[in-house]
Amino acid sequence: MSRITRRDFAKLSLASALGVSFSGRLPALVRAAEAAPQHKSVILLWMAGGPSQTDTFDLKVGHPNGGPSQSIESAVPGIQISEHLPGVAKQMKELAIIRSLTTAEGDHDRATRLMLTGHRPGQEGVNYPSLGSLFARQLGDESSDLPHYVSVSPFRFGDAGGPGFLGPNYAPLVVSGDSSDPEARANLTIENLKPPAGVSKESIEKRFELSKFLQDDFHKSVKSQSAKAHKANFERAERMIATNAKGAFKLDEEPAALRDSYGRSRFGQGCLLARRLVERGVAFVEVTLEGWDTHADNFNAVKRLSEMLDPGWSTLISDLRDKGLLSSTLIVWMGEFGRTPKINMTTGRDHFPLAWSTVLGGAGVKGGQVVGDTGKAGTEVANRPVKIADLYATLCASIGVSPDHENISPEGRPIPLVDRGGKVVEEIAVTPPSAKEPRKS
Amino acid sequence: MLRDISRILVTLVGISCAGVSAAEPPTTPVMSTTELANWIDERFAETWRKSQISPPEVVDDATFLRRVYLDLSGTVPPVSEAREFLAYEGGHKRESLIEQLLSDTRRPQKHSERTAAHWATLWRRMMVPGNSPEAQAAVSLEPWLKDQFAANVPYDQMVRQLVTAKSDGQAMMTIPANARGSSSPAMYFQVVGGKPESAANAVTRMFLGVRIGCAECHDHPFAEWKQKDFWGMAAFFSGVKNGVINDATPAVIRPENSAVEYTAAFLGSHEPVKTNGKSSRETLVDWMTSPGNQEFAATAVNRVWLHLIGRGMTDSVDDLAQPSDGERVVLDELARLFVNAKYDMRWLIGGICKSQLYQRRCVDLENDQSPPPGLRIVKTLTPEQIFNSLEQALALPVARADGSARFNGLRAQLISRMNEAASNRPDEFRAGIPQALLLMNGQLTTDATDLDRSRTLRGVLDAPFLNTEEKLTTLYLAALSRIPRADEQKFLLDHVSRQEQINKQNQAFAEIFWAILNSPEFVLEK
Repeated sequence: MSRITRRDFAKLSLASALGVSFSGRLPALVRAAEAAPQHKSVILLWMAGGPSQTDTFDLKVGHPNGGPSQSIESAVPGIQISEHLPGVAKQMKELAIIRSLTTAEGDHDRATRLMLTGHRPGQEGVNYPSLGSLFARQLGDESSDLPHYVSVSPFRFGDAGGPGFLGPNYAPLVVSGDSSDPEARANLTIENLKPPAGVSKESIEKRFELSKFLQDDFHKSVKSQSAKAHKANFERAERMIATNAKGAFKLDEEPAALRDSYGRSRFGQGCLLARRLVERGVAFVEVTLEGWDTHADNFNAVKRLSEMLDPGWSTLISDLRDKGLLSSTLIVWMGEFGRTPKINMTTGRDHFPLAWSTVLGGAGVKGGQVVGDTGKAGTEVANRPVKIADLYATLCASIGVSPDHENISPEGRPIPLVDRGGKVVEEIAVTPPSAKEPRKS
Repeated sequence: MLRDISRILVTLVGISCAGVSAAEPPTTPVMSTTELANWIDERFAETWRKSQISPPEVVDDATFLRRVYLDLSGTVPPVSEAREFLAYEGGHKRESLIEQLLSDTRRPQKHSERTAAHWATLWRRMMVPGNSPEAQAAVSLEPWLKDQFAANVPYDQMVRQLVTAKSDGQAMMTIPANARGSSSPAMYFQVVGGKPESAANAVTRMFLGVRIGCAECHDHPFAEWKQKDFWGMAAFFSGVKNGVINDATPAVIRPENSAVEYTAAFLGSHEPVKTNGKSSRETLVDWMTSPGNQEFAATAVNRVWLHLIGRGMTDSVDDLAQPSDGERVVLDELARLFVNAKYDMRWLIGGICKSQLYQRRCVDLENDQSPPPGLRIVKTLTPEQIFNSLEQALALPVARADGSARFNGLRAQLISRMNEAASNRPDEFRAGIPQALLLMNGQLTTDATDLDRSRTLRGVLDAPFLNTEEKLTTLYLAALSRIPRADEQKFLLDHVSRQEQINKQNQAFAEIFWAILNSPEFVLEK
């Protein structure tokens, strides 16, 4: 697959400016560029704590395990989901529910690492990259002013989500909305992007001007890879400050009605920010909704969370569609595990990795369907088990990345994107050609 | 280039057959550090002559000063010491400074203590690399490591204590997040994974420079390690499990889902070991540290070399099976000298620092090529070195009662952010945008460049006895340990003198200080 980079474009326009007539390959390249698929992205809606499948996407109405949760019909006849997700139900044609995910980690920390890397933690002593870093590497545009991987108000059990052995180029840029003030929480921003209050614009310009002098001077006498890396990174950070991150964070540019429909929660506004970042070419955005660890008072908690989840997620789908971005953006909804179908003594549900749900949408996902089922009681996978490697293979396939692709660890070991034996869930996505692409360096 | 693995096998197996109680090889008198420095210079002069390399010149005093301070005590020098050192015109001043930083225990600087703390951090980073929660928990090993370096415990004895450490039968299930003062070396086994497999993996990599991890599941793809080698080593640690660090008799292990049981055997030998009444791990460490075990001493020397010169004598300090015999000649010779010096770390570090080789300019490497052997390369400061240098340059308070950054969360924030992008290789600069933004706009820099809150700026700008040139010089000395060159001074002071009001001039100095703290020169070591 030939992807035209900005540099190629520059060469092409240079060629035409110089009046060079190109024959053969070049016109074809121009046409290819015009028809080139737009930038691809992945948005992960991370449900920290482990959402209850029985009260969201795999209801057991009428069975004691179902509890008080009621279902509604979705836009796709025969598919029913929670009554607290009416917006999502309307978008069901875009969504594929996997009800038969089965994993083997029931501890928050280990399960988070499993779901966010696709590998069991500590396996073979490899520091596995997270999903975000993997896709940042596969889909990221090197010439982008923004980082490839942005994580909006991350909250996770344990230390996952990092770039692992892929290194800091693929580390998430963390966007915080950390404040107890519910209004301020929605004012998402990049840590330390804004110069401190009280320093004038003029003074900031002076700082960078002086800085440039010191840097140029240093680079005259010191030639090293590290010095080059410092320069490149400093300039990117400076550009981020100068362009205020290409304005991606100016949520107030959006119509108030659209902001309302995303929901004025940190999660809702995070989904809006995700769309703005995807528009600007960011490869991977993670938006977190935490609080799903409902060992007690499960039903009230899930209702409250659903009321934040539903407007954010459903508006994200419709907004991406309106902007023509849905076909190039994969949306993944998941947590670290599901919750026990059986209701515990404190009206809660406990950790349950054996049979649970995840939802995919957008990009190459064939929506409007359910894969697998968990029987009447929801206690085990009755049909079509999907393992973590299968899920990862399916994510890759949905966004057109070959699951065969390997990254090379610092020890020189080839580490596949998808753990050995992973099979694409063919009902959901078509496996892309397995020809190994040349590795991006 | 893959070296014949049989050489390692011969070394390792040879030792095991000879037995560890055999008479020690005849010793030659231990060289002084100055003799060691000369030996290094002669040895490399020969190498360079053969490859027709003309080494770069020896650096000026200021560059040496910042370099040796960062390398030994992990920070830039205070302004007063920088002034004194640069002004001193007597002889042997570099040698004296090296001695002082390594061994001077006197207050208030307590140089040797700072140096021990820095090397404890370096060693901890190598023992448990990365930025995982386990790697962060490994910080609790530092007090113990620092004690070892401060007392200059011979390296073989230090490793012996570590490899045979026990947790007194108590489970170490929980790792205290901010353990300070907890100093059991047994923590090592816990943070590397708490299993016999992880212990075998970590110990062979760290102390023998052999990577055997692949052989846990399958025979090694490109070296000759077999699963037998891996599990033979793992069996020494079969008492490490369920959070208890202890010895088990007999030293045997059966991998999960396997019908085969493996008995403890030294790497490269498939003969079950005879423990002769000793514990399995004691038997292992006897073999590891026996004077003839070239890999043990070579790995230690290589790691010290890596930190002082910027890269190891071989490409990967974790994998001595890679280089060819030719590439290892000098390393092996230096390793023998280190053994002869009874594994004296201070001797090794001091000798290297006193060499001309250590004091030469860094080699220019614009591309990804390998530098010629023995030439320094530009290094990136570790997260701790960045914090220490800021603390020194900003004259931050160190006592808890004074709101010190060490205790109010700013140190932890800086180090954790920098750790997200820290490399195990000193020559790599990996910081990304979040790290750059923190240094540009974070709290420490904001305070440092605020005319009311910055101790350094206030001290410099309010001093009636300093003229404009001297003010600039002092800021340079504080952050970069050098005096600005004439052209730098002209450019920067033009910026100041364009302003007429004194507060605007002060603001100009604050802008200059910001630029200095964010310069590549501050986070790199040349």
